[in-house]
Amino acid sequence: MNYSKEHAAYLRAIRTHGWTVGLCRVLVLVLLLGLWELGARLGWFDVFILSSPSRVLSAIGRLWGEGSLLIHVGVTLYETIMGFLLGTGLGILLAVLLWWLPFVNEVMDPYLVVLNALPKIALGPVLIVWIGAGMGSIIVMAVLISLVVTTVTVLSGFTAAAAEKQFLMRTLGASKGQTFVKVVLPAGVPHMMSALKISVGMSWVGVIVGEYLVSKSGLGYLIVYGGQVFKLDLVMASVVILCVLAALMYGAVALLEKRFRK
Amino acid sequence: MEGALLSVENVSVYYHTPQGETEAVRDLSFQVQKGEFVAVVGPSGCGKTTMLSLIMGLNPPSKGQVSFPQGPCPMGYMLQRDNLLEWRTLEKNAILGLEVQHKLTEESRAKTVGLLKKYGLGDFLSHYPSQLSGGMRQKAALIRTLALDPEMLLLDEPFSALDYQTRLTLANEVFSIIRQEGKTALLVTHDIGEAVSMADRVLVFSDRPATLKREVVLDYPRGMTPLERRGTPAFQDHFAAIWKELER
Ligand SMILES: Nc1ncnc2c1ncn2[C@@H]1O[C@H](COP(=O)(O)OP(=O)(O)O)[C@@H](O)[C@H]1O
Ligand SMILES: [Mg+2]
Repeated sequence: MNYSKEHAAYLRAIRTHGWTVGLCRVLVLVLLLGLWELGARLGWFDVFILSSPSRVLSAIGRLWGEGSLLIHVGVTLYETIMGFLLGTGLGILLAVLLWWLPFVNEVMDPYLVVLNALPKIALGPVLIVWIGAGMGSIIVMAVLISLVVTTVTVLSGFTAAAAEKQFLMRTLGASKGQTFVKVVLPAGVPHMMSALKISVGMSWVGVIVGEYLVSKSGLGYLIVYGGQVFKLDLVMASVVILCVLAALMYGAVALLEKRFRK
Repeated sequence: MEGALLSVENVSVYYHTPQGETEAVRDLSFQVQKGEFVAVVGPSGCGKTTMLSLIMGLNPPSKGQVSFPQGPCPMGYMLQRDNLLEWRTLEKNAILGLEVQHKLTEESRAKTVGLLKKYGLGDFLSHYPSQLSGGMRQKAALIRTLALDPEMLLLDEPFSALDYQTRLTLANEVFSIIRQEGKTALLVTHDIGEAVSMADRVLVFSDRPATLKREVVLDYPRGMTPLERRGTPAFQDHFAAIWKELER
């Protein structure tokens, strides 16, 4: 392509800006980690309480050496992914059902509002009694948290789908099913995608809280255990791993969204 | 009465809302002959859209009846906004009705693509609606209804969302498409100029509840386009007459 000088300069400026932002982001991380490590070495604070990057690394190494790192990560990941898939799956299904049956939707509306406002974590002890102190309760907790928010978000997307487009479908002689498949569902995709993004985060919350309450393994368990025996290195290490995993999973969903938006 | 394609007889329509009862159409009677281009003008909110969905069979009349003396009459509806689906290409949008009615065959698809090409959209078959101008989009919406090969077209203020220039050009194009495809048309508008430049006959509606105030038969020489009609003294006269009628 042949651009004018001004346009080429403009494009260069955009690229430079992008690079600068990226570089600064890395710098912020390096600076924080550096200060943390430096402070630990120079004795600005008690490493027993605040740990340090090198101690976190060696804690991770130790977990790896014991062979338990993958087990803990695996358990937590499994619970989160199950909670996420079931929660969003059932949530979308419920939204479809409520769209299809406006009367039921109207009846259920206040209940949905209350359920949405309720901190589902409060149900933790109840779940343990009902389901037992194990993985089941943890997954159900994650499902509960992501399900309600998914239903509410997706349903609002469905009902927002232009009334006029639905009228158009009627003039073309479409059935309700056809209108749903050809207009309402595709029009709801952006809402579904933002529901997925919210739901991913919610599943993590549900799983970690669940693990705090009941589990014998998983990152949430490691955090609680580390706190109890004052191994802050272990706590910090688990949190760091959690950060990375959560970011990866969010990234995967964002990627999915990009593909759908095309 | 026998030759009419559509016959509306003593029709009234009431809307019921918690605030009360609205009479939208009162004792309305008129007919549309096969091949005719009839325009309905009336102030906004007088009950024109109500009348169209009545004819389309989407709402029943409260009183009176709508009949088709020559037998069932397949109809196509064109709305004010094109309502093209943004996630479908132009071609996929045009065949939406065929899909819905399970009439999509190699033949019907080819015919629809043929229409798109014939009326100047051939280069945009795989474009998305957002890549097209307002006029093109509305033309695509017309072809979406034509794809189902209706006998009569119901046009509900199809140009009022467009800018003035596009409105005039598109009215010209739509007029020639309807003529070439040999369709009967019932155009609803609040734009007197639009009605007077396109139709063979204009029905003037009163304020709500809509009643038929007057009928004006337009006697332009055959074969004049809407744009050409706009330049004639007859256009001015009809315009003034209908304007006065609406003022009263
Ligand atoms: N579904 C409805 N329920 C209640 N009132 C309606 C409904 N649709 C239209 N109306 C009322 O009926 C009158 C005629 O509406 P409409 O046919 O849309 O007018 P126009 O198309 O001529 O602008 C308006 O006053 C409008 O408020
Ligand atoms: Mg209207």
